[in-house]
Amino acid sequence: MNAHLRIALASIIATIAAAQEPAPPKPFEVWRPNRPKTEAEHRIAKWGPRGLPSPGYAFVAAKVLPITAEPIADGVVITRNGLIEAVGPLASTPIPADYQRIDCGDAWICPGFIDLHCHVASESFDLNDTVHPTNPEFRTLDLVTLDHDQINTARAGGITSVLYIPGSGSNMGGFGTLTKTGGNSPDEALIRFPGSLKIAQAGNPERQSGDLGRDMMGMSQGIRLTLLDGKRYHEAHLAFEAGKGPEPKFDPTLELIRGLFRHEYFVSVHTQIYQVVLQTLQQLRLELGLWTVIVHGTFDGYRLSEDMADAGLPVAGGPRQYYFNPRTGEFEGLLSNWSRGGKHGWREPVRGLGMHGIGVNTDSPVVAQEQLPLQAAMAVRLGLPHQWALRGITINAATFAGIEHRVGSLTVGKDADLAIWTGDPLDPRSHVERTVINGVIRYQRNARRPGW
Amino acid sequence: MAHLTHACLLFATLCATTQDLAAQERGRFRRGGQQRPEAPTPEAPKPDAEAPKKPKSYTAIVGGDVYLGTGQRLTGATVLVADDKVDSVGHNLTLPEGTKVIDAKGKVVSPGFTCVMGSGMGAGRNSPFVDSVNPFDPEVKQALAAGITSFLAGNAGSGNTPSGDNAVIKLAWGDVAGMVAVENTVCGMTVPMTLADKEKFAELVKKAKEHRAALDEFTRTKANDANAKPPQAPQGSEKILKVLAGESRLWIQIGGGGGDPFGMGRRGGGRSQGNDVDGIRQALEVAQMLGVGVVLNKPVCAWLVPDEIAATGSLVILSPRDRTPADPTNPDRTGSNIASSAILAEVGVGVAVTCPGGMFGGAGVGTGGILGQDLNTPHIDAAFAVRGGLDNRKALRTLTLDAARAIGIDRRLGSLEPGKDADILILDGDPLHYRTFVETALVNGKVVYEKDKEPFYRHIQR
Repeated sequence: MNAHLRIALASIIATIAAAQEPAPPKPFEVWRPNRPKTEAEHRIAKWGPRGLPSPGYAFVAAKVLPITAEPIADGVVITRNGLIEAVGPLASTPIPADYQRIDCGDAWICPGFIDLHCHVASESFDLNDTVHPTNPEFRTLDLVTLDHDQINTARAGGITSVLYIPGSGSNMGGFGTLTKTGGNSPDEALIRFPGSLKIAQAGNPERQSGDLGRDMMGMSQGIRLTLLDGKRYHEAHLAFEAGKGPEPKFDPTLELIRGLFRHEYFVSVHTQIYQVVLQTLQQLRLELGLWTVIVHGTFDGYRLSEDMADAGLPVAGGPRQYYFNPRTGEFEGLLSNWSRGGKHGWREPVRGLGMHGIGVNTDSPVVAQEQLPLQAAMAVRLGLPHQWALRGITINAATFAGIEHRVGSLTVGKDADLAIWTGDPLDPRSHVERTVINGVIRYQRNARRPGW
Repeated sequence: MAHLTHACLLFATLCATTQDLAAQERGRFRRGGQQRPEAPTPEAPKPDAEAPKKPKSYTAIVGGDVYLGTGQRLTGATVLVADDKVDSVGHNLTLPEGTKVIDAKGKVVSPGFTCVMGSGMGAGRNSPFVDSVNPFDPEVKQALAAGITSFLAGNAGSGNTPSGDNAVIKLAWGDVAGMVAVENTVCGMTVPMTLADKEKFAELVKKAKEHRAALDEFTRTKANDANAKPPQAPQGSEKILKVLAGESRLWIQIGGGGGDPFGMGRRGGGRSQGNDVDGIRQALEVAQMLGVGVVLNKPVCAWLVPDEIAATGSLVILSPRDRTPADPTNPDRTGSNIASSAILAEVGVGVAVTCPGGMFGGAGVGTGGILGQDLNTPHIDAAFAVRGGLDNRKALRTLTLDAARAIGIDRRLGSLEPGKDADILILDGDPLHYRTFVETALVNGKVVYEKDKEPFYRHIQR
């Protein structure tokens, strides 16, 4: 073989190799491209108030964890009227004269934590009203009282926002409410209603599957038919708005589903094993084009992490933070697998969701609401990086729910939701000294009888 | 008077810290205030019939930060094990020739964890436990991976007279004979009792005490009178006699139960019904009748009467993170408190921790639960005691020495002291940190678990 030919061949091979070289993966992004740009553009969703009066405070501590920025040593967080006015090093951040300075010593200031899977924000036990196989006419909005024992304790545990959703006893439990865990009234505490539509793909709704079957295919069809009804209703509205059809008759069952197709809020899906996660991906996210968040994702669903990353479908995982792999006998870290990908069975290796695609949840009261940081700690124990776990209960959760402009980090202009921790907030030995919600101190620890 | 009592307690605590540790244990257990009951004379340990054997083999765990389990810690120390017992702990120990050395530099060495309630993990559910243990149950390895080297299996008993059927199981992988440490060191009963039941119980205790006196009398007369007949134990008093003799711990369950994982009655009220201060006082009354400290099993409100519990020399078992909300009509006198362990420890009451009960918690290791809620992470429960204010150094005792005391086997387990069973963990960090894993576990002086050689957690690098 002559030299020219050899070089030519080599360059061809190199070209082919370069063509096959995968592009560096993009950071994970939640798929919600068509959602309204501002709160004001939401037609169906109702947003809670912001900027309610609150005193001027300057919280000074040895460590401030803004989450979306580097940690600040000897920092200060300045809040007033429900919002964060400044975050920065104490030395270079002036404290206005009429603000109360609160010295927190060696403490860490963290943003309030967010749980996208909460069933305990009402006074009674409103978990599963399984009237029909799918119940899109149900909603938790009217139930919120924030007086549940676990919500009271959650405040003492630094948890400031929850998505209060119906249970998974039917395929569609109803619409959930995004609420703060404290406020002078449910209206004041409201972040957004609907927070999401709770869908249970499989693995519990079987008990009330009616005439739709008890297996994946039948249950899936029930969910699909109901959502397609809503989609037609939505399209009829679009036609009416464009002057191309009559005004659709108001349908209370489908009214809120309309908001899903306007991408004002998302579907939070109880879905776990590989097969069922695949259904969620194919049916809800890809076929129906819904902004979708998985709220269990346990067992071996993580084998789909690459497809999920491509589809912008995030996972708020838990509360079972491990998958005991019967083939290897390993306790695999659920969120470690979801986020990093790896060699997972017959699809290998797969890309993971990365640090932006995972969240952590409790499914309270399955795990008590206040133990959200413990869930994150267990994920770290099994291999998830600490910083990623913290994101999973702050900015990631906020982004999945579309409320990242309000909460999820210590950022100027966001809601003044924060907690003063005595140390690593994931360490069960640390505790909260104070919790601030919308700029108001809603919890202050009493050493003799701490709230948590 | 209260000041004086506190001063006495403080003085006792100060004294105790300077005494030898075993004496400290005995002292703490019986220390009391104004209501100090007559303390039973502990039976002198029986000397071995045979002369002490020369150990066959030695193992030394060298250079680790050694947590003795008593609350003390030695940095860069050596634990020398002779066969199945701890020989000595300290710096600059002379190691006998042929000692197998395990390097623990940069590691933490701790007594194995003792769980006061457990199920599965190679044990049967009732006696004879020696016939039902399975030393090759995979759960044995899994429990060792969690740091558990011993636990109480079976049931602690309930009802208005002591009952129960249990054994202290050791996780001696592969060694049938090493698995059952002792049977029935615990018996249990429930309060509140009806007045009639209480009278019946008091009568039985009285008879049992008379029987003990008669036995003493018999021992004396036997020397002179070969025909002396031993007294008959009164019917139904066997368990009480064991408690009086210090051979068995009496656990008292305060009626009404504890946590409510699903929060059905979330606003308090009925939830703490029965499991209240009055229930605890009834249990302490039993302790006074017996003249022996008891073990209060998950008393919700123990933190409200710490001095009364200390005065009887009783211990407390609790899960620090179990919560029972206060009765809204009486919030200052009801409900659980995460500070319970700290408040009780302050007055010298020993606390043993256990994991939360309920649907997703549980007293086993298993592979289908929720991590952080079961015995796969017993150290998390002790960590929650620290959250409530218990000193981090003392908190390890809740899983070691105080746990062993609660199940009546502290003479053998719970601390790294000469002569105790060599049940030892080598850990990759602070025993109570959530990321800490067991690297090596020894039971009865034998290495029975190595993280790198078992599938469970070997893929996790800290």
